Amino acid sequence: MNIKVPAVTGMERAKERHAKSLAGANFGDVLVAGGGISGIQASLDLANAGFKVYLVEKGPAIGGHMAQLDKTFPTNDCSM
Amino acid sequence: MDTEAPIREVIEEIKESGGDAVKYCYQCGKCDSVCPWNRVINFSMRKLIREATFGFPEIDREEVWRCTTCGKCPQQCPRDVKQIEDMVALRRIANAYGVTPAFLKPVRSASASLAAEGNPFGEERAKRADWAEGLSVKPFTEGMEILYFPCCFLSYDGQLKKVAQATAGILNQAGVDFGILGAGESCCGESIRKTGHEALFKQLARENIKSFIDHGVKKILVSSPHCYHAFKNDYAGFKVNFEVVHISQYLGELINEGRLKISKEYHKKVTYHDPCYLGRHNGIYDAPRGVLKRIPGLELQEMEESRENSLCCGMGGGRIWIDTKMSDRFSNLRIKEAGGLGAEVLVTACPYCLTALEDSRLGLNYEDVIQVKEITEIIQEVIR
Amino acid sequence: MEYCPVKYPDQFNQAISKNKAIHIYYSQAIPLITYIDESCLYLKEKKCRICEAVCKNNAIDFNQTAEKVEIKAGAIVLAPGFEPFDPRLREDYGYGKFANVVTSMDYERLLCATGPYEGEVLRSSDLKHPHKIAWIQCVGSRQVTPGGSSYCSAVCCTYTQKQVILTKDHDAAAECAVFHNDIRSYGKDFERFYQRAESLPGVRFIRSYVSVVRENPETKSVTIRYATTADGVKEEEFDMVVLSVGLNPPADFKDLADKFKIELNGHGFCQTDPVNPVETSRPGIFISGAFQGPVDIPESVFSASGAGSRCGELLTARRGDLARERVYPPERDASGEEPRIGVFVCHCGANIGRIVNVPEAVEYCKTLPNVVHAQEQLFSCATNCAGEITDMIKEKGLNRVIVAACSPRTLEALFRDTLREAGLNQYYYEMANIREHCSWVHPKEKEEATRKAKDLIRMSVARSRHLEPLMEIELPVNKAALVVGGGIAGMTCALSIAGQGHEVHLVEKETELGGTARRIHDTLEGLDVQAYLRDLIKKVYRHPLIHVYTGAAISDAAGYVGNFVTVVRSEGRVFEIKHGATVIAVGADIYTPAEYLYGEDERVMTHLDLEERIAKGDAKVTNAASVVMIQCVGCRNEDRNYCSRICCSESIKNALKLKAINPGTDVYILFRDIRTYGYNEDYYREAAGKEVRFIRYEPHDPPLVEAVAEGGKSILKVTATDYVLGKKLELDADIIALAAAIIPAAGARELENLFKVGLNPDGFFKEAHVKLRPVEFAAEGVYLCGIAHYPKLIKETVSQAYGAAGRVLTLLSSDTVTASGSICAVDENKCISCGACIAACKYGAIEFRETPLGRKAAVNPVLCKGDGLCNAKCPTGAIQLKHFTDDEILSQIDAALLEEESAERDQAVV
Ligand SMILES: Cc1cc2nc3c(=O)[nH]c(=O)nc-3n(C[C@H](O)[C@H](O)[C@H](O)COP(=O)(O)OP(=O)(O)OC[C@H]3O[C@@H](n4cnc5c(N)ncnc54)[C@H](O)[C@@H]3O)c2cc1C
Ligand code: SF4
Ligand code: SF4
Ligand code: SF4
Ligand code: SF4
Repeated sequence: MNIKVPAVTGMERAKERHAKSLAGANFGDVLVAGGGISGIQASLDLANAGFKVYLVEKGPAIGGHMAQLDKTFPTNDCSM
Repeated sequence: MDTEAPIREVIEEIKESGGDAVKYCYQCGKCDSVCPWNRVINFSMRKLIREATFGFPEIDREEVWRCTTCGKCPQQCPRDVKQIEDMVALRRIANAYGVTPAFLKPVRSASASLAAEGNPFGEERAKRADWAEGLSVKPFTEGMEILYFPCCFLSYDGQLKKVAQATAGILNQAGVDFGILGAGESCCGESIRKTGHEALFKQLARENIKSFIDHGVKKILVSSPHCYHAFKNDYAGFKVNFEVVHISQYLGELINEGRLKISKEYHKKVTYHDPCYLGRHNGIYDAPRGVLKRIPGLELQEMEESRENSLCCGMGGGRIWIDTKMSDRFSNLRIKEAGGLGAEVLVTACPYCLTALEDSRLGLNYEDVIQVKEITEIIQEVIR
Repeated sequence: MEYCPVKYPDQFNQAISKNKAIHIYYSQAIPLITYIDESCLYLKEKKCRICEAVCKNNAIDFNQTAEKVEIKAGAIVLAPGFEPFDPRLREDYGYGKFANVVTSMDYERLLCATGPYEGEVLRSSDLKHPHKIAWIQCVGSRQVTPGGSSYCSAVCCTYTQKQVILTKDHDAAAECAVFHNDIRSYGKDFERFYQRAESLPGVRFIRSYVSVVRENPETKSVTIRYATTADGVKEEEFDMVVLSVGLNPPADFKDLADKFKIELNGHGFCQTDPVNPVETSRPGIFISGAFQGPVDIPESVFSASGAGSRCGELLTARRGDLARERVYPPERDASGEEPRIGVFVCHCGANIGRIVNVPEAVEYCKTLPNVVHAQEQLFSCATNCAGEITDMIKEKGLNRVIVAACSPRTLEALFRDTLREAGLNQYYYEMANIREHCSWVHPKEKEEATRKAKDLIRMSVARSRHLEPLMEIELPVNKAALVVGGGIAGMTCALSIAGQGHEVHLVEKETELGGTARRIHDTLEGLDVQAYLRDLIKKVYRHPLIHVYTGAAISDAAGYVGNFVTVVRSEGRVFEIKHGATVIAVGADIYTPAEYLYGEDERVMTHLDLEERIAKGDAKVTNAASVVMIQCVGCRNEDRNYCSRICCSESIKNALKLKAINPGTDVYILFRDIRTYGYNEDYYREAAGKEVRFIRYEPHDPPLVEAVAEGGKSILKVTATDYVLGKKLELDADIIALAAAIIPAAGARELENLFKVGLNPDGFFKEAHVKLRPVEFAAEGVYLCGIAHYPKLIKETVSQAYGAAGRVLTLLSSDTVTASGSICAVDENKCISCGACIAACKYGAIEFRETPLGRKAAVNPVLCKGDGLCNAKCPTGAIQLKHFTDDEILSQIDAALLEEESAERDQAVV
C-alpha cells in the first residue's frame, strides 16, 4: 500500500524532516492521521504494542480540540 | 386540571386536511419565542400544535385564526412542523363544520364577494379596470411584453389606487409594452386560501389561469407579494408555469437595461420594510434595496429586524379581514422602530403592509414623523 | 517573537485575543517550537524579516518549503476529529454581530488560564466580568432546518454543565441560565454532574429554545426571548450569551474521504460498520474519535485503543520488527554522596512567570542548604529544557533534582525519565507545584504568590535531602488473557486478543454464550442481532486460541499484573488458569420493576419483554390497539441516580417495530427527557413521523397506571399531565412497556473483591481514569468493557471491547512489566504483629510471614500499589511507604513551619 500524506500546511516541516531522518526508511507499520486525543491515544497504544507509527497532524501542534478545552467533564480535571 | 383522552377521529381529520406535520413537534418552544404575536399578547403556537396532535383543537376560538402566516416559525422550527399548513388545516375543518364566531364575519362576506365578483370588497367585477381611466393603459393582448396584474387592493381601494396608477405611469415612461386584463382578473386567492377556503381558492385560481391562457399571457408583473406567491407557488399545483416578476424586481431590470432613467435626487432618510411574502416566503430581499440604492441622495438605513428577520405587519393569513385591536397591531411596533431610526420614509412593496403601516402611523400620531410609501411612489417622484 | 510587528487573531484562542505571526501555538504545545504562520509579512509580501535578524541561533529559515513525504504503511487510523458548528452560517443568534454572543468553544478559551484574558471571563465589548450568562443549547444540532444537523451532538449538554460549574467557580455570584430541550445526561456520572450544576445557587435550567432578540446599544447586553408553559413568552437580558455549538464533520471531510477512498455517511462523518464504529468501508483503514460521529473524550480514547487493536490483528506478524528499544545509560550510585541539589524553576510560559517572580525564587533557592545549582526555564517540559537538566546533572554532579513547575500528575514521569537519561536514579526527582497550587490560585496576589512559591520549593528541598534511590522490579508477563463474561463485549475482546496470537480463556457463568444480546433482536440501524451473535459465537468456538468455559464460576483469583492465577469451576471440573491480563466483561442485569402494576398485571412488561414478544410475533402484542411505554423506570431516582442510557433508544426501536407491523397501533412514550444522543436523534424524529406520541412527565408527578373495570372488561388506563396542554391525558393501554433500568450485574461485588477492582457509587465497575484510562482498572493488568462499565449500545460495546483488547495487547506484547519502586516495607523490629495493615490493604499485598523475629507482616512488592493506607493504620510506624517515608514527609512539613516561625519572629521584632 502506498499512501500519500494528506496535504500539510507550511508548519508541518519540522515533523516531516524528522520523519525523513528516520534511517531513510519510510516504511511504517501504521499511519495515524489526526493528532487529537483520539489520534494520540491510537499512536501510543500501537507504539506500545510494538509497531512503528507515523502520526500526521495538519495543525502546528498535537492535541486537537481537547487542548483548547479548559477542563473536561465529568471530572472537571485539566485537559492538558 | 381537565383530563381528556386523545380523539382519534379528529387527529385523522387534521391529517387529511393537511395538518399532518403537527406530529413532528417536540415542544421546544422556538415558535413561541419568534412569533410576533408574543410581542403584543400571549399566544402559543406550540400549544395549538400540541392540541392538534391529540385531536383537541379549539376551532371556534380566535387562537386558530391568529397566525398571520408570516413564515417566521416555519423558518426556525427545528422539526419542520409546517405551522402555516397546520393552521390552515384547522381553519378548513372549522369552515367545514360551519363554525361562525363573530370575529369571522368579515371573512365570510369577503369570501362571498370573492365567489361572486372575484374581489373581496363587494365591488363589481366590471369596475376592476376603473383605476386606469384616463391613463394610457391598454387591455392585454397576445404578444405584449408583459401583463400587469395590480391585485384587488390596488384596483379598488381608494387609498391604494394611486400605487397602480404610479406603476402604470412608470411602465409607460420606460416604454414597456404592457396591458391589463381588467374584468378578466380575479383575486389571486392567496389570502382566502389561508383562511381555509380551499374550494374558493381553487375557483379563483382556475378563473385566472383560464384568463391568462386565453389571452396568451406568458409573463406577469405583480404589485402584491401575495399575488406573486400565489402565481409562483400555489398555482404550480395546477401544473401551469407563468413567468412572474414583482414590481421591485422589474424596476431594477428597467433601470439596469437603461429603459428607466432616474433624473432627480431624493434627499431623505429611508428605511425598507420587508413584506413576509416577498422576503421570507420568496427570498426577495435585495431587489427592492437595489432599486432604492440607485436613487441619488437617498439614504437607506436598515431596521434591526430586517430581511430574514423582518417583522410581520400583521395582515397576512387572512388577518386583513379580521379585526385586530389597535393596541395589538405589530405594525405599531414597526412604525415605532422605523421612527426610532430617524427615517423620514418607510418604504415597502406590499398593499397589505401599506394598509397596516399607514393605519398605525395615523393611530400612533406619527403623521409628522414619518411617511409610508410604496416603492413605485418614490420612483415616480425621481423619474420626471 | 516580541519583535514581530504582525498582530492577528489567535486561532488557538478562538480569535478572541491577538498573537504574532511568529509564535508558539500554545504554551504546552507539542512540539513546543516557534513557527511562522500565514500572516507573516515576509511570506505574504516579501517584507520584514526582523525575526531572522534578531534570532541568535540562526534558527529562522525563510527558504523552507512544504516537503512531501511518502510513507508506506500496513494500516491506517484516521482520527481527524470534528469541527465545531459555525453559527455564523445562520444569522439567527447574532453571532459575529453582537459582541457578547460567543460560542462554547470561545467560552472554553475564556475560562482557561492560558486563554485570551488569562483565565478571566471578560466581555470583549468592555472587558468587564459578565454577571448574568445564558447558554443556548443545540445550536446547529437536532434540527432539520437548512444549515443545521439532524443528529444530536451528544456532548454539549454536559460540557455546558461543566461551563456552568466553572463559571460559578470563577464568580460565585454569577447568574446562569441554560435554555434547552431535554437534558442529555446519558453517560457515566453525567446525571450527578447535571444535578451538581443544577443545584448551584443562581443556576436555572429552562426548557425552551430561544431567539436572540437584540443588543442593548449602550451596555451591549443581549436580550433573548423564551417560552414557558406557565407564563407564556418572556424576555430577559443577559450580559453574555454562550451558544452551545454542536460537532460537525472535520473541515476537509470530502477530501479526506476521496484520498483514502472511504465512504461517508449522510452527515459527512465516516460511514462505519454498523456494529463496529472503528471500521471503515475499506479494509485496513480504521477510524477513531469524533470522526465516527459526535462522541466525548472517553469514547475518543477507547475507540482509539480499539482502532489500535484492529491494526494489531492485521499486522500481528510484523509486531516489533520496526520498533526500537530505548537504552538508558548505566545508573550512577549516589547513595553515599552528600546531597547536591539542583532546582529548576519553570515560567510555564506566562502561567507561572507572570505571577511568581521566578528570578527572585531562583536566587532564593541558591541560599538553601545543599542547593548547588538553581536556574529558571521557560518551559521545563520542553525537549530543550529537559536536555539542559540532563547536562546540568552531569556538569555539576547533581544527585537531587527539583523542578518547580506544575502537577506531578502530568509531568513527573517525564522528568523522572530525564534523570534516567542522565544516569541518575529516578527517585531522586522531586517536584514543587507552583502553578496549580500557587500562580493559578493566587493570580491577584503576586508578592504573596512569590513567597508561597519559595515556601513550596524550600519544602521540596528539605524533602529531597532524604530521598533514597529505589529499584523498580521487572516482572515476567504471562502471554495469556482471561476474559470474564461471554457476552458481546467479552467475545469481541477475546477474539481480538486471540487474533493477535495470544491464548484467551473465556469464562461464562451461563451455559450459553451471548449474554444480554440473546434477548435483543434488532438494533435501531436494523442489524439482525441474533444472526450477528450466532456468527460471533461460532468464531469464538472455532478459534484455536480461545478456551471457553461455560456454566463456570470463579472461586479464587490471585497474583498480579502479568502473573495472575485464577481458579475456575466449570461443569464439575476445576481449572487453575495462569494469565497475564484479566478483562472484566460481565455485563449487567435488568431491574425488576415494582412500579406501574408490573408483576400484578400480565399486560405490563419490560421493554426487553416487549422486544422479545414482538420478535416472536406474539399476537397479544402485535395486535394491540394501544401501547404505552413509560421511561426511566427504576433509575434516575434516589435509589439509582443514573440514566440507563439505552432505554430511550430501545423504546423508540420497539415503537418503530410496532408501527412497521401495524401502522394503526397507537403508541405513546411517556418520558422525562428523550436521550437519543448522536445519530439516534434521527430515529426519534422518524418515530414522531410515524405518529408515535411523546408525552413528557415530571418525576414528582409520574404517570398513574390503573386497571379499571369497564363494560365487564378490565382496562388499563394511564393518566399523565401534559404541561404544554395544561391538561391531563388519559390513555387506554392494551400493553404497557416499562423502560426498566439497567442495573449492575448480580455478581459485581464478588468480582470486586476477587480482582481487587473498584465499583462506582452506582455499582458499576470503576475505571482507573474516566478519560485517560477508560478501559482499565486502577489494579494493573485488569481491564473492563461492555455494560459492566456502564449501560451502552451494542456498537459502543464493540468499540470498547476492541479498546480493551488494544490495551491488553500493550501489556501482553511486552515480555516484562515494571512495578513501581515506591512500595511499602516493614521494619520487623517495630512490627508488633497486630495485623492492622493487613486489614487495611485493599490489594492483599501484606501477609504474615515467619521471620527470625517471629511472625511479622511482610509486603509482596508486586502487589503493593503504594497507596500507603497501611502506614496510617500501623500503631508503631513499622510499615513505611518508600519515597514517602515519615522522614521525607516530616522534613517537608517542618520546612513549611520553619518560615512561619521566622515570620512570627520577624513580627515580634517589629
Ligand atoms: C465546546 C466543547 C467542549 C467540550 N467539552 C468536553 C468535555 O468537557 N469533556 C469531554 O469528554 N468532551 C468534551 N468535548 C468533546 C471533545 O472535545 C471530543 O470528544 C474530543 O476532543 C474528540 O477528539 P478527537 O481526537 O476525536 O478529535 P479532535 O480533537 O478534533 O482532533 C482531531 C485532530 O486531527 C487533525 N486533523 C484533521 N484532519 C486531518 C488530516 N486530514 N490529516 C491530519 N490531521 C488531521 C485536527 O487538526 C485535530 O488536531 C467538548 C467539545 C466542545 C465543542
Ligand atoms: S418550533 Fe416546531 S418543534 Fe418547536 S415547539 Fe414549535 S412547532 Fe414544535
Ligand atoms: S407564521 Fe408567524 S404569525 Fe404565524 S405562528 Fe408563526 S411566527 Fe406566528
Ligand atoms: S440535546 Fe444533544 S445537541 Fe442538544 S445540547 Fe444536548 S447534547 Fe447537544
Ligand atoms: S429512559 Fe433510559 S435512556 Fe431515557 S432518560 Fe430514562 S434512563 Fe435515560
